[in-house]
Amino acid sequence: MNWFSAALGSSVGKKLMMALTGLAFIGFLAAHLAGNLTIYGGKAAFNGYAEKLQSLGPLLHLFRAGLITFALVHVLTGLYLFWLNRRARPVGYRMHATAGGRTLSSRTMPYTGIVILVFVIFHLFHFTFVDKTATTVFDMVAAAFNQPAYVLLYAALMIVVGLHVRHGFWSAFQTLGVNHPKVMPTVSAASIAAGAVVALGFGLLPLVIALRY
Amino acid sequence: MRLDAKIPAGPLPQKWDRHRFELKLVNPANKRKYDIIVVGTGLAGASASASLAELGYNVKTFCIQDSPRRAHSIAAQGGINAAKNYPNDGDSIWRLFYDTVKGGDFRAREANVYRLAQVSNWIIDQCVAQGVPFAREYGGLLANRSFGGAQLSRTFYARGQTGQQLLLGAYSALMRQVASGKVRMFPRREMLDLVVINGQARGIVARNLVSGEIERHEGHAVVLCTGGYGNVYYLSTNAKACNVTATFRAYKRGACFGNPCFTQIHPTCIPVHGTYQSKLTLMSESLRNDGRVWVPKTPGDQRKPSQIPEAERDYFLERKYPSFGNLVPRDVASRNAKEQCDQGKGVGDTGLAVFLDFSDAIKRDGRAVIEKKYGNLFQMYEKITGEDPYATPMMIYPAVHYTMGGLWVDYNLMSTIDGLYVLGEANFSDHGANRLGASALMQGLADGYFVIPYTIGGYLAGSHFAEVKNDHSAFTDSVKEVQERVTKLLAVRGRRTVDDFHRQLGLVMWDHCGMARTNEGLTTARARIQELRAEFWQNVRVPGTGRDFNQSLEKAGRVADFMEFAELLILDALARQESCGGHFNDAYQTEENEARRDDANFCHAAAWEFTGEGKDPVLHKEPLVFENVHLTQRSYK
Amino acid sequence: MSKTIHLTLKIWRQNGPGDKGRFETHPAKNISTDMSFLEMLDVVNEQLTLEDKEPIAFEHDCREGICGTCGTMVNGRAHGQLKGTTLCQLHMRHFADGDTLVIEPFRARAYPVIKDLVVDRSALDRVIQAGGYISVNTGNAPEANTLPVPQDRAERAMDAAACIGCGACVASCPNASAMLFVSAKVSQLALLPHGRPEAARRALSMVRAMDACGFGNCSNHRECEKTCPKEISIVNIARLNREYFKAAFISQEN
Ligand SMILES: Cc1cc2nc3c(=O)[nH]c(=O)nc-3n(C[C@H](O)[C@H](O)[C@H](O)COP(=O)(O)OP(=O)(O)OC[C@H]3O[C@@H](n4cnc5c(N)ncnc54)[C@H](O)[C@@H]3O)c2cc1C
Ligand code: HEM
Ligand code: SF4
Ligand code: FES
Repeated sequence: MNWFSAALGSSVGKKLMMALTGLAFIGFLAAHLAGNLTIYGGKAAFNGYAEKLQSLGPLLHLFRAGLITFALVHVLTGLYLFWLNRRARPVGYRMHATAGGRTLSSRTMPYTGIVILVFVIFHLFHFTFVDKTATTVFDMVAAAFNQPAYVLLYAALMIVVGLHVRHGFWSAFQTLGVNHPKVMPTVSAASIAAGAVVALGFGLLPLVIALRY
Repeated sequence: MRLDAKIPAGPLPQKWDRHRFELKLVNPANKRKYDIIVVGTGLAGASASASLAELGYNVKTFCIQDSPRRAHSIAAQGGINAAKNYPNDGDSIWRLFYDTVKGGDFRAREANVYRLAQVSNWIIDQCVAQGVPFAREYGGLLANRSFGGAQLSRTFYARGQTGQQLLLGAYSALMRQVASGKVRMFPRREMLDLVVINGQARGIVARNLVSGEIERHEGHAVVLCTGGYGNVYYLSTNAKACNVTATFRAYKRGACFGNPCFTQIHPTCIPVHGTYQSKLTLMSESLRNDGRVWVPKTPGDQRKPSQIPEAERDYFLERKYPSFGNLVPRDVASRNAKEQCDQGKGVGDTGLAVFLDFSDAIKRDGRAVIEKKYGNLFQMYEKITGEDPYATPMMIYPAVHYTMGGLWVDYNLMSTIDGLYVLGEANFSDHGANRLGASALMQGLADGYFVIPYTIGGYLAGSHFAEVKNDHSAFTDSVKEVQERVTKLLAVRGRRTVDDFHRQLGLVMWDHCGMARTNEGLTTARARIQELRAEFWQNVRVPGTGRDFNQSLEKAGRVADFMEFAELLILDALARQESCGGHFNDAYQTEENEARRDDANFCHAAAWEFTGEGKDPVLHKEPLVFENVHLTQRSYK
Repeated sequence: MSKTIHLTLKIWRQNGPGDKGRFETHPAKNISTDMSFLEMLDVVNEQLTLEDKEPIAFEHDCREGICGTCGTMVNGRAHGQLKGTTLCQLHMRHFADGDTLVIEPFRARAYPVIKDLVVDRSALDRVIQAGGYISVNTGNAPEANTLPVPQDRAERAMDAAACIGCGACVASCPNASAMLFVSAKVSQLALLPHGRPEAARRALSMVRAMDACGFGNCSNHRECEKTCPKEISIVNIARLNREYFKAAFISQEN
């Protein structure tokens, strides 16, 4: 496996891992969002979706294990890259202006990433790893989002996730080598759209819940 | 001293083959016992270093820049000639040979030029195999264009960056050898002396431009590929680091300097616009295919070009040379522009420019066509001048561009010092008195890829070498001299900067030894240069120390050499009492104002031998024998 | 039309690699707007020399945008603010009277400062040594037209080959990554049939060499492409990535 670790260990290899895991997360986000949208269908629909998930049993565990592995790879590699990149310029500039390449979202990738990490941990303890014998998922969520602080927190965080996705999406394509004059404009546009969908799709849910239930 | 060109016997087309057969060979296993020093990494130096290392020699390569890829060859724009005859338009080795000899106004050696034309085709093969992205036709085969007034399309090109691409090809071959350990690369080094032991070139003394250390490097042969000396004029199209130091130091150690007065002035450059100007930018010659050159008929006309009616314009090239018009050769176009400006008809703030007008071409072909052909050049012009050449005529003026002169070499490219080879623009070259467009790149690569690898073997195999270490007294003496010179430059602490002197030297040279020369002017210039040199050593200010990175010191050393070399150039110009190619003496012109050669008395290469400080050098003449071409008078009417 | 402006320069001065370095302020008076940026520095240096101060060390050679020697940061932008332009081609008409310019060397771990604005970019040569060539000895080449190259491929190879090795991509990259430079060479040679035989080895070893030199990683900020004086596109980076993946996972090369 030496060739394999060498292949992944280089700068380009590390980015390959980031891109693949990142895209997997975007896939996960898409599925997660689709599931969450069932909340518009009301309590039953939403609880039904949650139960369906639970009923997957071993498959769900496998899925979770995969996600955790991917998360470890993405987070550890991301943090390592962040460190390497800072180290690549030990003496900084007094003035460093952009020539129009960087965006708010590309510039903040490591920071939005870290915020997402903290949030995900919180989120898991908040909704996932809790004793749900006395309540349903729906009630739990509805209760949480009746507190304005949570609504604000989640909405803000979803903007952060949206920012991460807005650069991450097209960046992953570029990293994978999918940059072609015929395709790239679409990918770039899709990246902005994906960021917006994530931010709005997830971000509006708490508000909707708070207002409706 | 007797100059022996060592031209092989036999019919012209067979000379090179025959010579290669006759040259002794170095046994492959012995090649690694030889150390070869190559100075310079332009087309000539990079190609020579790589090729010699591939053969198995140990090569040490030096250049001034931080990377070998930055040598001045990188700036060549137009293209490289070869006798491939791909367009099927009648080209051949013989024709390329003939055009080059004729273009050089019959002042080059037949045998060398023929060999150049012979190997030209291999150069293209080699470069393509290296990954040089030459322009191609739709079918995927190589494209050619006609260049510099040639009647054939034999020029290969990579957009307007041919020199860059060829150099990067040679540089990549060089880097491959550096990686393999056969070449040791010494960038940021300036050769300041040649070390000659028992009559053989055995090493160089160089300054490490970062640490200031004076280093010694020994070897069995030294190959100088240090480029041309156009910067003796201060303003030229050459890169700022181009210098005469390496060749001039070798001259002082016994290598004869050939034809120093043969300098080329390019007609289409962006004019000077102020005293602070540091260099001139070439605009490709191809612009003359569509641009019309003119000046106002009345001297001192200050109106904007758009306000000068057609009847009051003088399209002087079209008027004087109805058949070639704006496409007359470089020297003719240049001299005519100067003549107009001398008559007070020059345009622009300084009065030292003529218009190059595209309005007719734009009217005829439409802007899109012109943009496709010259878009990048127009853009470059606008970047530099801030004026839009689509809307208002360009202004151009001639500028020093290339130097045909250089160290004298024989057929093997060896100078008058055993084991000292000189390649590329640094030698006195195959271009005679005038170089045709797209043939300097060809010559640099021919010398480096296809000539030196053979000829140097003949020398190494046939010579006896005493063991030389770098603590030999010749090295110690040389280091001492170099050190003293550095100390002396720093010690003057006068009141004028190096650039200030350089600028003044350039003006004297340009005014009196530029496009048109007179005996009086040359004599005056010689006296002025002597004065200026005396003042330089009294009044130059070189800040800093010799022990670190000191650009002022680097420049000062180069300018000091230019100051001495300029006088040699003028002596040569005075000695050559004829006009030919780039050397135009007003006293020798035809009724059509063309250069009038004197084949009876000057059909020779001049080779100047240094005889000691403060003494006049001695002129040796290598007669040029033309057995295969007939000497004719150029005419472009 | 030319006019005259006065500027204030805040310039990084550093005596040598060991020195800590500092900013110095120098006036640049009576600067003609027809001057190039480097000519403006020449004028300041002449003045400094006559005042018995050390002139500012900065690199340059061709002064026409092709050798890649020049380059500093000007107000935070590598080669200054003008698109597709090297510092030597930047003219003073793009500045206004009274401007203050912050001039710093290109900075990266892989570019140690030699003096003032002069840095050591030899890492770029080391990357080329790792494989930025086609292994063909002199004399070995077949006839030039043996392998046809479709015109558009040749053009794309030329687009990539236009890189002048100035290293501004590294300087402008927030991560000091050299991916644009490396990808330009890998792309040029990967696009040409002549370069294919060594493509896998080249991609692997050039990336390795790049990493060993201490450059950062590409985060696709695309500052490089916006800064590059030759406007080399990041399409080349994507191609480098593809070449790398093919080499690492499919070829037999290690
Ligand atoms: C703007 C321009 C455009 C041109 N266009 C064309 C064209 O289209 N076609 C064509 O055929 N020709 C063209 N030419 C001419 C051609 O480019 C040159 O003649 C040719 O490139 C010279 O190559 P070279 O290898 O001899 O020297 P150079 O490329 O000048 O290399 C000189 C080398 O020597 C080194 N060196 C110099 N002095 C020392 C020293 N003292 N110590 C150590 N190293 C030293 C330098 O560092 C450098 O590496 C053009 C020239 C100019 C100026
Ligand atoms: C919802 C979760 C996440 C998604 C959808 C996601 C997605 C992505 C994607 C697609 C990329 C682009 C990869 C590339 O450029 O090739 C990326 C990059 C990155 N991610 Fe994430 N990510 C998530 C969580 C995180 C977390 C928790 C971190 C933790 C630190 C993180 C840190 C980073 C960093 C630093 C980069 C930039 C790497 C670089 O270009 O140098 N991400 N992410
Ligand atoms: S890619 Fe552009 S910025 Fe980078 S070295 Fe090449 S020319 Fe300079
Ligand atoms: S000095 Fe050559 S690119 Fe600027």
